[in-house]
Amino acid sequence: MHKNIILQYEIEQWLYKESELLDELNFDGWYELLSEEISYTMPLRINQMEESKPDYSEATLLFDDDSTTLKLRIDRLKTDMAWAELPPSRTRRNVSNVKIKEMSENEVTVHSNLLLYRSRSTDTTADLISGQRKDVLRKENGDWKLVSRWFLADQTSLGTRNLAIFV
Amino acid sequence: MTTTSTKQVPRLDEMTRSELIQYLKDTVKPEEGLIPSYIFSHPKVYELEMEKIFLRDWLFVAHKSEIPNKGDFVTREMGGQSVIVTHGADGEIHVLLNVCTHRGMKLCRMDNGNQKNFTCPYHGFNFKNTGDLIGIPFQKVVYGDTMDKSKMGLKEIRHAVYADLIFATLDADAVSLDEFLGDIKWYLDLAFNRAEMEVVGLPQKWNVDGTWKLGSDNTISDSYHTLVSHGSIAKLGLVPTGDYSKYGYQIYTGNGHGLNLGMPNPDGFAFPESLIDEYKERLSKDQYDILKQMKNMIVCVSPNIMILISSMDLKGQKISQTSLRIWKPTGPDSMEISSWVLVEKNATEEWKRLSEQAFTLTFGASGIFEQDDTENFTDITQNSKSPYHLQENIVFNYTMGMHQDQVEDFVGPGIVYKDKFNEANSRAFFRNWLDQITAE
Repeated sequence: MHKNIILQYEIEQWLYKESELLDELNFDGWYELLSEEISYTMPLRINQMEESKPDYSEATLLFDDDSTTLKLRIDRLKTDMAWAELPPSRTRRNVSNVKIKEMSENEVTVHSNLLLYRSRSTDTTADLISGQRKDVLRKENGDWKLVSRWFLADQTSLGTRNLAIFV
Repeated sequence: MTTTSTKQVPRLDEMTRSELIQYLKDTVKPEEGLIPSYIFSHPKVYELEMEKIFLRDWLFVAHKSEIPNKGDFVTREMGGQSVIVTHGADGEIHVLLNVCTHRGMKLCRMDNGNQKNFTCPYHGFNFKNTGDLIGIPFQKVVYGDTMDKSKMGLKEIRHAVYADLIFATLDADAVSLDEFLGDIKWYLDLAFNRAEMEVVGLPQKWNVDGTWKLGSDNTISDSYHTLVSHGSIAKLGLVPTGDYSKYGYQIYTGNGHGLNLGMPNPDGFAFPESLIDEYKERLSKDQYDILKQMKNMIVCVSPNIMILISSMDLKGQKISQTSLRIWKPTGPDSMEISSWVLVEKNATEEWKRLSEQAFTLTFGASGIFEQDDTENFTDITQNSKSPYHLQENIVFNYTMGMHQDQVEDFVGPGIVYKDKFNEANSRAFFRNWLDQITAE
């Protein structure tokens, strides 16, 4: 039990640290947290009959990234022509309900909720992106690295003008 | 102290219908390349658009591959109205008003599925996927012999298919789809008839505080914005810098439809080599010659469809992607974008997978091309809302390319200009738009 509490604390702190890096636009710092093998995906939420769950489709992905394409996104944000984030959105990632689902010596599967507040330009109404994360973290050279992120938004039609941010 | 200015803001909302139409005719001057700001957000203009365009034109509702089997359906919107597009038990496609004929309840709230029947959640009226009313709870008790079910079927919306694209119109008197599309069909063939195409998954949807017209306007003529709006992509070396997006043709085919065709492709053939026989068989020789040289193609089918073929290097492999989107108006100053990705059905799984990934990375909701466009649409729309724009009649400049002559020796149909840096297509689009909304 003691060991589990420490692991829970460690993983939560990792997720908070990740949020902080993204909210502070430290994308290089964030990239350091990712495993080279990362799979970063966001399926499409759909309206389905209760009996035909799941109510999402993995045939359509809103993010479908690996370490190469994530690096590309970050490099793009660093050019002075990435207009979608000039000036950058103010984001606040609230991560909660952190539940470790599976664990081994080197790997944990962790589910959490994300409530991402996004204020863009002079907008007085902010975008809220709410959803579920399913992450896999692996110990690489003593540090937890993100091997897989799966994010499912709670909207079928996104109430934000683009996904120029990370989820 | 009071000001003595004599300036007045034209009150479009206090004008009669014919005064408003006259005001539009006086201020929108497509042939002079002068497009006034107010048309991009004024509620009175939007009312006219809804009535004269979206209740009249042929609108895209689905691709046939989305409903391959009997019972398959998708729900879509057209002209602010939900419709169910079904592959009926009779083997036919039906576009049905998603409105129970009893008391107006929305019958189906699912995005897609497979159902023989649709049962109304309000009182349980039961309709076949062909639209026929087949069941009413306690019919004998509550109606006796007075209810004729055969007259109470779901309202069937007129539809037609071209290149597996299912279009529907809310206007029973509209010209045929064939006539509406006209010569744009030659180019639709390149996108959707070059091979057997299939939709991957379901459309992505996201919402932008910008008017739908800016989407269509950008689609039909604007390769020029690529240099700056998408300058970050060139800086990363994913596309060439400078005037790469200039080369090719700008083509207008009438009825508000047109395209920009980027060619030649310095990287060579952008489509699966294994399908060359299929392409050759399905396309004319002239069409295949264009496909061979194509770098990209951006087609606007009025009022609000964008079709995009684009090619790039991804992970060391040359790959093309094909997508279709609609700029669906959700208000005078807002739209929902729905975007479908399509692949060649007979391509290898690896090729399909990479093509989908290229789409998501570049033109999906998170696309690195896509993102920057939405900023432009949002800010232009917001600017146009100020009454100052009406007071001063602020107009935007669409005169680019007026000095250029058409080319006569292009193999495809339409009014054709060499090179894509031109606003001729936007001038034609807004002429068509103006004629539509000012039609008596």
